[in-house]
Amino acid sequence: MRQALIRIGAIVRKEFRHLGRDPRMLLAVVITPVIQLLLFAYAISFDVDHVATIVIDFDKSPASQRYLQQYEGSPFFQVVAHGSSLADVDDAFDHNTARVAIVIPSGFARTLASDAAAQVSVLIDGSEPNAAKISQAYSVALNQLYGQQLTRDWADAQGLDLSSFGLLQPQIRTWYNPERRSSDFLIPGLMVVIIAIVTVQQTAVTLVRERDLGTQEQLEVSPMRRIELMVGKLLPWTLIAFLDVALITGLGRTLFNVPLRGDFWALAVGAALFVFASLGMGLLISAIAPTMDTANIMALLIAFLPSFLLSGFAFALDQIPAFLQWISYAFPARYMVTISRGVFLKGAGFAELWPEMVSLVVYALVMLAISSVLYGRRSRA
Amino acid sequence: MTTPATAAPAIRASGLRRSFGDTLAVADLDLEVGEGAVFGLLGPDGAGKSTLIRMLATVLRPDGGEASVFGHSVTTQAALVTPRIGYMSQRFSMYPDLSVAENMDFFATIRGVSKADRRTRSASLLEGMGLAEFTKRQAQHLSGGMKQKLMLATTLMHEPDLLLLDEPTTGVDPVSRREFWRILAGLHRAGKTVLVATPYMDEAERCTQIAFLDNGRIKQFGTPDEIKARVPGRLVEVSATYPRAALAAVQGVPGVESAHLLGDVVRVLWSGAAEPEQALGAALAAAGVDGVGTREVAPDMETVFAYLAGTEVAV
Amino acid sequence: MSPKRIRLLIWKEFTQLRRDPLLIRLLLLMPVLQLILFGYVVAVDVRNLSTAVVDLDHSSTSRALESAFSGSGYFTITQHVASEDDLRPLLDRGTVKVALVIPEGTEARLTRGETAPIGIIVDGSDSQISAVGSGYASQIVAQFNTQRRDDLGIQVAAPSVDARVRVMFNPTLDPVNTMIPGLIAAIMMISLMVIMSQAVVKERESGTLEQMFVTPIKATEYLIGKLTPYAALATAQMLLVAAGGLFWFKVPFNGSIWVVLLGLFLFMFTCLGLGLLISLVSRTRHQAQQAVMFIMIPTMVLSGFIFPIASMPALIQPLTNLIPLTFALEVLRGAFVKGSDLAALAPQMLALVGFGVVIFGAAIVATRRRISE
Repeated sequence: MRQALIRIGAIVRKEFRHLGRDPRMLLAVVITPVIQLLLFAYAISFDVDHVATIVIDFDKSPASQRYLQQYEGSPFFQVVAHGSSLADVDDAFDHNTARVAIVIPSGFARTLASDAAAQVSVLIDGSEPNAAKISQAYSVALNQLYGQQLTRDWADAQGLDLSSFGLLQPQIRTWYNPERRSSDFLIPGLMVVIIAIVTVQQTAVTLVRERDLGTQEQLEVSPMRRIELMVGKLLPWTLIAFLDVALITGLGRTLFNVPLRGDFWALAVGAALFVFASLGMGLLISAIAPTMDTANIMALLIAFLPSFLLSGFAFALDQIPAFLQWISYAFPARYMVTISRGVFLKGAGFAELWPEMVSLVVYALVMLAISSVLYGRRSRA
Repeated sequence: MTTPATAAPAIRASGLRRSFGDTLAVADLDLEVGEGAVFGLLGPDGAGKSTLIRMLATVLRPDGGEASVFGHSVTTQAALVTPRIGYMSQRFSMYPDLSVAENMDFFATIRGVSKADRRTRSASLLEGMGLAEFTKRQAQHLSGGMKQKLMLATTLMHEPDLLLLDEPTTGVDPVSRREFWRILAGLHRAGKTVLVATPYMDEAERCTQIAFLDNGRIKQFGTPDEIKARVPGRLVEVSATYPRAALAAVQGVPGVESAHLLGDVVRVLWSGAAEPEQALGAALAAAGVDGVGTREVAPDMETVFAYLAGTEVAV
Repeated sequence: MSPKRIRLLIWKEFTQLRRDPLLIRLLLLMPVLQLILFGYVVAVDVRNLSTAVVDLDHSSTSRALESAFSGSGYFTITQHVASEDDLRPLLDRGTVKVALVIPEGTEARLTRGETAPIGIIVDGSDSQISAVGSGYASQIVAQFNTQRRDDLGIQVAAPSVDARVRVMFNPTLDPVNTMIPGLIAAIMMISLMVIMSQAVVKERESGTLEQMFVTPIKATEYLIGKLTPYAALATAQMLLVAAGGLFWFKVPFNGSIWVVLLGLFLFMFTCLGLGLLISLVSRTRHQAQQAVMFIMIPTMVLSGFIFPIASMPALIQPLTNLIPLTFALEVLRGAFVKGSDLAALAPQMLALVGFGVVIFGAAIVATRRRISE
């Protein structure tokens, strides 16, 4: 056992030496993820506001102006143009200069004055479904409010009492993210995605490199066991990736005010396990791939898109078909996104997140085991 | 070099077979190498030398047959074999970005050599090989000869009883080559067993036993003297102003076993009873070749194998 | 330029490609597979949100409200709990995403003519769900109010605004229609860049690049020879993936097929070119790999594929114009969903052409530098 630890120690020292001699690699692995995270955290969000709106007022009356003020005053809509014909709407939508169009027909004021309901057209560009849905909801709400206001004003003027009609009033509470900043939601996930991509790629090439260098045979004629080699190769990278997580968490908190409501240690342990599991996946690719070429390509393809799309980072996963759900569990990023969001936003700790942690442990062990077996078989084949 | 008296086999192989796809690299090979021998594996490129060595070193799995090193099977008891062997591959197998000292230290640690031993042994090995002043240089910045010496030094750190060397001197300058063999001689004197594959025929002379591999089979086997003895006749070198003309002239002369050009002289294998100078001289004069000089030389491995390659001798 | 030499180079590349079965599989099969798999993920619509109901009123109104929610198709009521405290573990674990809280005395308040507050709780840890979900919820309550007023026969002859809200181009607002075209482009980009980035570097590492440059081969000849087989394969891939997306997911197609093909074609060339450029300036395959990764992550994030550009800070938005994928997405989404024609999409097409020119120009310069090195 002691010998095994000594051997693992030798591998770890060696891997660190390689890193030290290749500053570009160090840059790529530690600095770049942090920079990318900072850039993206600043840039991306799902929040929709200042939606470009074009307004076409065929009535040009004080009443229509008053109506339009609703939109001009709302932080959600941003009136960018006043058109003179419907063709302007087509134009705006075609060139993406506006996503919402309000068209007030002529006779608007007259209809209102005759105590009837005046029509208004709200056209929404559906090519961005999310924004469109939210625009739709806001528009409907805005109109309802305005309509109610009109009715009340009229009733007051008439001396009528409309209080006999009660209304349900929705009071919306957003849990975990009361200000509904999507960055709070995205940054914990983004951290996971970036690290997943970087770590898998790094380990995928590491074993193949030994083979390419010719040193693998020397390692084989030594008493070193394959599992020791794998563990020795994983440890330095685990440390480095962990460093990444710490850095990113720190920066996320200080620069972006992402709240950390849960148990930090749960995050730390989860991160370590996640990194270990991702590296395990990289190792598996390394063990399977016949050449460095293939290892590179496989790592990229397996790590990249699935990290973005199957981890729950940007796309919700509870509605996707069952078989895809199963597949998503084959990627460690999936578990870590849950842990990350849970700790940051939902105030979760070990008690809530232990299923994910255990899954990561099992995952890592399985990857290590399969890698060990395959690595040996391939090299002696 | 002398063949040792004890014949406990360091290596025993029977029926070893290995293919790569459609190519049969090693075919039904039997081999026995006694402890303390310096065993040379000769043969052209693609003969199967590397494949054989790698199978013996346990890094390649045979398709058929058995092999054992110091009595332990290489397939089923590899863990008992590897501590006692040192394997030097054909390609450079050190970490290019680690220094000489770091490479040696790393592999020795993996091998289980204690810290104290690592220090003393690496010092003496590097000293002995003339690498002492290069300890801090990265392996990729060493010359060809130094790289090979580094590999050898690293292989020796755990003091193996058997050395399996795959073309250790290929691409190395002659001075370094000589040094290398000086070191091997020292190991032999210390009782170690060495199996070395080499394309250099002159190195074959320095072995206690040699085997010639061709197409995955052993074509010739024995001590250098035994092999040389298999070539009938004597070797005569004929020099002339126009060597080609000389070659043409001596071929077909009764008593000439074979003749071929080597540089600017003709080498003639003479198995006739008479003195070759006269018979050859006569033939040459008759053909009008001038500037002739003949002298007898000792048969070297090159010629021996060139001759034997035409003949199959049962091992 | 010698057509003969070019033909020879093309033949060489094709032969090498043919002998690399993995490559063919990666280029042709994997993208289609990925499209189908990931298509399901990106096409997910926000509906059938699992909802918990806390009904403290137990009145016909509360029941009516509940069925308004469950009948909408946006919310699926999965739990009934007795109190708000019971909601916490459900939301924590993510078992429900939305909760409807109807306080005691709601119906009474309504009959008295007072305003009755209704609690709607959304899981804010998923911003799409919270934004869209709360929007739906508000809409349903508003409709409920209107319905109730009509049912009660209260006619108010009063001025009001009747807003007809119409969604153009994607009336179902199904994300499939915009995400699948985007996914097609993203998948193409990834596979092409990965493969292409290894194309030249491989030769450099094996030493054949040097060999090539001591021949009279010119830079442009080399590039054309290198590019052509990959371009052919990429075209095949493009057609396969696009067809796959269209037919498997039944994405409605309102525009001109030629516009789509032209856009994809131009985009394909920029991807190939970018990969080639990386391949030319990298010294080792590992370096090329890193470079590709370095470029692709920001591309995925900033191109508008997942995150809308309109939501990005003003400082960042101009940066997105440096990414070819941004324009490709605009072309594809425009053509698929809006039926935009060439005239409307001309700026984007020109941008793609511009990218191509710059990238290939740089590639030629890089190749010439290699030759003279």
